[in-house]
Amino acid sequence: MSAPTPPLIEAVGLTKHFPVRTGIFNRSASVVRAVDGIDIAIPPGETLGLVGESGCGKTTTGRMLVKLIDPTAGRILFEGKRIEGLDAATMRPVRRHMQIIFQDPYGSLNPRMSVQDTIAEPLEILKIGDARSRREQVRELLEVVGLAPYHAERFPHEFSGGQRQRIGIARALAVRPKLVVCDEPVSALDVSIQAQVINLLKDLQKDFGLTYLFISHDLGVVRHISDRVMVMYLGKVVEVARKRDLYADPQHPYTQALLSAIPLPDPKRRSRRKVIPGDIPSPANPPSGCRFHTRCPHVMHVCREVEPHLMQGAPHHWAACHLVHPPSTPRPAPASV
Amino acid sequence: MSGPPLLSVQGLTTTFRVEEGTFDAVQEVSFDLGEGEVLGIVGESGSGKSVTALSILRLIPDPPGQIAGGEIVFRGENLLKASPGRIRQIRGGEIAMIFQEPMTSLNPVFPIGDQIVETIRYHERISRRAARDRAIELLDRVGIASPAQRLNEYPHELSGGMRQRAMIAIALSCNPRLLLADEPTTALDVTIQAQILELLSDLREEFGMAIVLITHDLGVVAQYVDRVIVMYCGRVVEQAPVEELFDAPQHPYTQGLLSSIASLDGDSERLETIPGTVPSPFELPSGCRFRPRCGFSRDACSLADPPLIAAAPGHAAACIRLTGYALPRTDAA
Repeated sequence: MSAPTPPLIEAVGLTKHFPVRTGIFNRSASVVRAVDGIDIAIPPGETLGLVGESGCGKTTTGRMLVKLIDPTAGRILFEGKRIEGLDAATMRPVRRHMQIIFQDPYGSLNPRMSVQDTIAEPLEILKIGDARSRREQVRELLEVVGLAPYHAERFPHEFSGGQRQRIGIARALAVRPKLVVCDEPVSALDVSIQAQVINLLKDLQKDFGLTYLFISHDLGVVRHISDRVMVMYLGKVVEVARKRDLYADPQHPYTQALLSAIPLPDPKRRSRRKVIPGDIPSPANPPSGCRFHTRCPHVMHVCREVEPHLMQGAPHHWAACHLVHPPSTPRPAPASV
Repeated sequence: MSGPPLLSVQGLTTTFRVEEGTFDAVQEVSFDLGEGEVLGIVGESGSGKSVTALSILRLIPDPPGQIAGGEIVFRGENLLKASPGRIRQIRGGEIAMIFQEPMTSLNPVFPIGDQIVETIRYHERISRRAARDRAIELLDRVGIASPAQRLNEYPHELSGGMRQRAMIAIALSCNPRLLLADEPTTALDVTIQAQILELLSDLREEFGMAIVLITHDLGVVAQYVDRVIVMYCGRVVEQAPVEELFDAPQHPYTQGLLSSIASLDGDSERLETIPGTVPSPFELPSGCRFRPRCGFSRDACSLADPPLIAAAPGHAAACIRLTGYALPRTDAA
């Protein structure tokens, strides 16, 4: 995207193949192509929504961007500097600028650590402030995320799911990051609590100038928080567009299917939904050509053989589909998306 | 609804004894379900929707749970008084149930075919061969390709969607009159969820069974349900035909739920929320359970937990705004 500002984080040709080991010699028998060569760029202050079903590689992508796992191939640039090759020690000063919020507020907090210790831990590791100022900061952070200072002495089991997610958010914010990867942050929460957490994330973005990668399987949730939305299927990006364009005019048949699959909360607009058949294929053995061709209602001969590339149609609207961009279309010069 | 209801639940109360004490997971829940009707039970975690369904089939683990009161009348028979043998006949026979996570409800050490055959032969005197043929037919009907071969596969060899299809095949194997579906698509991917919901909807037309669909997803409710019960903290706070519930919700909790769903149509900057959180069953507020989170609460709300008050024919809500904040007489339900 030809954004006027350079991206805060950018990845080019990002790839992760997980080896599948079998037998007593632990030989690498095959690979799971979790993420297979994708490009991402997020300008500062923007929220990019990353959507897809299980196995599409959205979580792996998020974890690679903050270097929780190392990519198999590709470049990652944070504020213009390459970070994909950095080791743990050289990565540490960069790390404080990028944090992650996890899906499961039950599994991502240490049950033996008080809220105080949980939120202060990143500050201790990065040696920010002394014990006294850290205590002060934790109290401030608790108020920022809508909890009370006295909650600092309590333990995770004393909190509800929504409150735990607020603790996770406070921990992520403690080091004043620039980029926050939100990996399904509301999926485990009840409907009424989801809305509270999304509003909180929006407020914090404004107050702290945060940049978000917001990962979700729920196109409804993503719509409320994203500026742009990227749709992944089996390790590939199939469509990227500004939010409004993606929802109003989805180009890729997979995006169309995802949108059509969502039951509308309006009993007056009941319709037989366009249901795409079949299961999601295994990323260990993805289909040839276009990976969606086994389920696509518009599949053509070429789709089985030639892999479509992400191409720009309308301004800032990219799709990887032979139907949208017939193979004879001259390919525009590759640009980062 | 014409004629006697297929299922009538009256004043159902189910209690659980845990370390902290005893609480009512479900309290005084009443509803009727007609032949072939689809009833949605909506609520958030801890609202008692699953316990209601499990109580109908007397599947509440005892201890810690116990059905403490009420009646569950199915085709004229009070299931709470039925003998253990009779209830086993009904389970999987006239009333079938499917659950959220098919992996935990299928037996991992038997091929799925055996599990379907077992169910059929438990309920009907029929040869193994004939039961097997029926199982193949059923797998085919629920959309499993090459069913004769799939019959021999174990649950772990199937995808999540396929497992749920296999569960549905088991549920349908004895032609139930009522299917209890407890969050049947929550664990599935969006496109697979759509497949399963469309399948259930087709099967209902074909088999003419009634369905109790338990879900937290108001979109699913809007698309697939005839009538809705909204539960909060173990009680029914509103019941209405689906269109009316969405058009004119009466209980502030229902109103809050409806406005907080991240609607695909809306592009609003801020989502509406319900303030606060669901109270613990041991710290229920006095009077109306929703009072601390409610924007309309007044002093009168703390005096008594309101019963369901009629708002329109077939539509009732447990909120004393319907009587102008006057406490209704206790018999006016």
